[in-house]
Amino acid sequence: MTTFVTKGPVAEAQYDLFMLTVWVTFGIFLLVGSVYIVAIIKFRERPNDDRPMPSQGHGNPLVEIGLIGASILLLVVIAVPTLKAIWFTHDTPDDPESYLGTWYSGEGLAEEEAENPLIVKVIGYQWWWAFEYPQLGITTANEMVIPAGKVVHLELRSVDVIHSFWLPRIAGKVDLIPGRTNSMWIQAGDNFARWKEKQALQGEGPELREQYATYLEEEIHDYYYGQCAEFCGESHARMLFRATVVGDDAFAAWVASEKEGHRPPDNKTWEEWYAVYDKNPDALTGDLNEGLKIFMDRGKCATCHVVKGNPRALGVAGPNLTNVGSRLSIAAGWLNHHTEEAVIDPEQQYENFYKWIDQTNVVKPGNLMWKANGGGIGELTDENGDLALLTDDEIHKLSLYLQSLQ
Amino acid sequence: MSHTETEIPTPKTNPTQEPEVLKAERSNLGMLRPDHNKSVIIDWLTTVDHKKIGIMYGAIALFFLLVGGLEALIIRTQLAVPENDLISAQRYNQLFTMHGTTMIFLAVMPLNAAFFNFLVPLQIGARDVAFPRINSLSLWTFVAGAIVINFGWLLQALEVMGLFEAKGATAGMTDLVPAGGWFGYAPLTSTDFSGAGTDFWIMGLQILGIASLSASMNFIVTIINMRAPGMKMMRLPVFTWMTLVTSLLIVFAFPAITVALGQLMFDRVWNTNFFNVAGGGQPILWQHLFWIFGHPEVYILVLPAMGMISEVLPTFSKKPLFGYSIVVFSGAVIGFLGFAVWSHHMFTTGLGKVATAAFSLLTMAIAVPTGVKIFNWVGTLWGGRVRFSAPMIFALGFVWMFMMGGFSGIMHAAAPADAQQQDSYFVIAHFHYVIMGGIFLALVSGIYYWMPKVFGKMWVGNLSTWVAVLVVVGLNVTFFPMHFLGLLGMPRRTHTYLEGFGWETYNMVCTIGAYVLAVGILLLLVDMVRCIRKGTPAGNDPWNARTLEWSTTSPPQAYNFAKTPVIPARDALWEHKYGPENRRITYEEDHGHGVHMPSQSWMPLIASIGFIPLGLGMSMMQAGVPFMGYVAIFGLVVVCVGLALWALEGPGGYHLHPEEG
Repeated sequence: MTTFVTKGPVAEAQYDLFMLTVWVTFGIFLLVGSVYIVAIIKFRERPNDDRPMPSQGHGNPLVEIGLIGASILLLVVIAVPTLKAIWFTHDTPDDPESYLGTWYSGEGLAEEEAENPLIVKVIGYQWWWAFEYPQLGITTANEMVIPAGKVVHLELRSVDVIHSFWLPRIAGKVDLIPGRTNSMWIQAGDNFARWKEKQALQGEGPELREQYATYLEEEIHDYYYGQCAEFCGESHARMLFRATVVGDDAFAAWVASEKEGHRPPDNKTWEEWYAVYDKNPDALTGDLNEGLKIFMDRGKCATCHVVKGNPRALGVAGPNLTNVGSRLSIAAGWLNHHTEEAVIDPEQQYENFYKWIDQTNVVKPGNLMWKANGGGIGELTDENGDLALLTDDEIHKLSLYLQSLQ
Repeated sequence: MSHTETEIPTPKTNPTQEPEVLKAERSNLGMLRPDHNKSVIIDWLTTVDHKKIGIMYGAIALFFLLVGGLEALIIRTQLAVPENDLISAQRYNQLFTMHGTTMIFLAVMPLNAAFFNFLVPLQIGARDVAFPRINSLSLWTFVAGAIVINFGWLLQALEVMGLFEAKGATAGMTDLVPAGGWFGYAPLTSTDFSGAGTDFWIMGLQILGIASLSASMNFIVTIINMRAPGMKMMRLPVFTWMTLVTSLLIVFAFPAITVALGQLMFDRVWNTNFFNVAGGGQPILWQHLFWIFGHPEVYILVLPAMGMISEVLPTFSKKPLFGYSIVVFSGAVIGFLGFAVWSHHMFTTGLGKVATAAFSLLTMAIAVPTGVKIFNWVGTLWGGRVRFSAPMIFALGFVWMFMMGGFSGIMHAAAPADAQQQDSYFVIAHFHYVIMGGIFLALVSGIYYWMPKVFGKMWVGNLSTWVAVLVVVGLNVTFFPMHFLGLLGMPRRTHTYLEGFGWETYNMVCTIGAYVLAVGILLLLVDMVRCIRKGTPAGNDPWNARTLEWSTTSPPQAYNFAKTPVIPARDALWEHKYGPENRRITYEEDHGHGVHMPSQSWMPLIASIGFIPLGLGMSMMQAGVPFMGYVAIFGLVVVCVGLALWALEGPGGYHLHPEEG
């Protein structure tokens, strides 16, 4: 989560400006600080000091004006790059290399989007994130996926209170404010032209392209940490998110998998599965089938969650769970189950799902999934209306089912 | 020392004789005034003496400094290790909300007010402030606001002990302690997302605003009108100048938050739609109103500190303040520009390029007058005779630490860099360098400097050195690592954090520093108690100081100056002691009236007490507790009756005849 090691032009511009302010103020600090120390030491009172009374002068206008002038000059040194950086970081650049039509190899892209950059709608909820890709028709939650080296335009909205999108290594933050749409642009890694400029390379050619691809793969493809930066209520500390930066092909593959969604267990179609479920649910056996049944009825999960493919899991109050088993974390980045090489650790993953369902209110206090005016899993009841939370066995099966959504 | 040889007429009246000489008179309403009361408690409750009011402001402020400090220690303890569960998320949110609110409104502002009250009349050669009873109202209204804003803690304590439960008639009384941050951003403070604590917060701040506004107007009138003959504006001690600028800032800044809090109260109590998006409201409006108040508030906190430093440095350098007029002028410029930079708190809200650029440049501009002050302080030392007495040690520390806080301020002013720093620990580092390293050190310097005047006792021993070492080391160890924490991506206002981001060591160091700082502050209090209990008599002018307050007795008599001084020059006392013959302070002849003193009164206290049922009633009415509307109306009636009787009882007053020896 560091801002020192930047992985994109926005964070880089912000870091460069920061370092400029550091050096300028450090210079002033050395200058004023040393004069200050000299003054204290040189003019200290000595024991039995019988020197004459210091001159009672009230100051020197020339010195004053000179110092004011010098301060203004030093501020101009900071002000000009500040203005440049404000303009640079504000407007989404028009970069043909970043046009969807240039690099996106997946299907179903509308023609009028070919000359636009990728747009991601970031929507803040207490305390998780929805990431919608309107041009590609997919939605995911808490872990966004973006292509390396391409400009991505973000539209930021909130449904409840103010949140703030902060992906430190890639870009500084912009707030998500209810009732308005903010925007920002991010880019993980440099584009080809900027990369060449930095490497002092010129020309075109497949060799350079290959070198550039290697740079992206080695330095930019990564799993980036982000976090909500504006205090947004009880569990603000646990509103994290992640960005996975991948190559063009991997991105297209990810989109395809998100679009396709999931099938029910035993390789049935959803019609077949629901045909059995509606008439004789007991005939659906095995952990995954049981888990899916709990997802649909006892747990009421489908009321708030989408699982792409499942025609009856259409709730939008909670995070979209398509491919949730492929994500490296759950609970908005709080419960992690990946190794340092960003590979899923299945045992940890199972434990995290279990913990999250079992203790939603502990992992994320105040959370809507636990209590929602009678709709939460902390308020589940039996036929008599008595509190009847999910049993250990039910949570076990549900966790297995969620883990299978890969 | 040479100053003991000067002939400064010292009032010699023995104050213990007065109550026997004077009897309490009846007011216009026929009621006995509480003047010359034998009961110490009644005397302090009804006092209109700016010095007693100042001491009470100081004592209450120090109490809340400890409360806010304790809140900070719990916060730091929770953050010492990752994924700590010492306190719950919501408790943490309550603590940081109340830490900020307490430190700003209940510790630093009233501590500044303590100095305003005690010093301003003495520095300008006046008998008291212009409106002594309003001064009393300001103090007790501040106490009322403090009670309302902290009332949730009491209820929550009762809840924990099982003596209070949110059910039945009090079902709406949940979320009892304010937890929306000291900045209270809408819509988190709406009824959808927060409970009764927010109402206490709104009403408490509103009442505190009344206290601040009335006090400020009092000081503006006092400084403009009550100056002794010859005390021209450009001869005023710089602390009094900064009091004037601060008071003007309060008068112009507080209406913005008054309006914002009013709108928020309307939204919550009567379902209006100022900030409610579903009803067409705009949450961003709150941020603009809040920061139009909130940024000048920073200068409301810091300008008095700058004034104190501008008094201490010359005294202990044996030199006049370098560039007096430019220091005063830059103070005024800071105050003025302070109203033009509020949106730098909002760089990440999507202001657009032009607004971002404008606020960025204006914020940089404010560094110029601030830098001017630093240059002039260094210039004051240069060529002087620097004496390392306790007040000076803290003042020298102030300049250093404040300078560092200023540098990180310039880093924030560069808006794109701020996009990384905003709402991270970097910001916390920045403003704690300004508030703790700056304002707090200046206040400690002021305490060491003026306490001998306040209580007439000189400091005992060298505990101050330990205080200085522990406080300065403690706050650097606490706050310097926070710069790195912020740049390493740690957001603020988070009750815990995951392991593995490289934040663990920094957080542990910060927490250790916080405890060192706490020990330093406790030692300061020990030193103060020792001074009051065991101090040797201080004499009028223990520091060989420069300004008028040091020409009268320590502690000053109720009437301050036996005869009105006539001021011949800036740094009046210094010129009197060391200047040419024609710069001696002279005294106006007493034509037999003696000193006209204001009468004490119950009415300010009564009117202030009315704010408590008003505030609590309004808050609990919102939570649906029955009959609370009537309680609020009752409180309002008490306020009005108190003010009406105050108007009808007449000003009163009596004369003292300090004898001269």
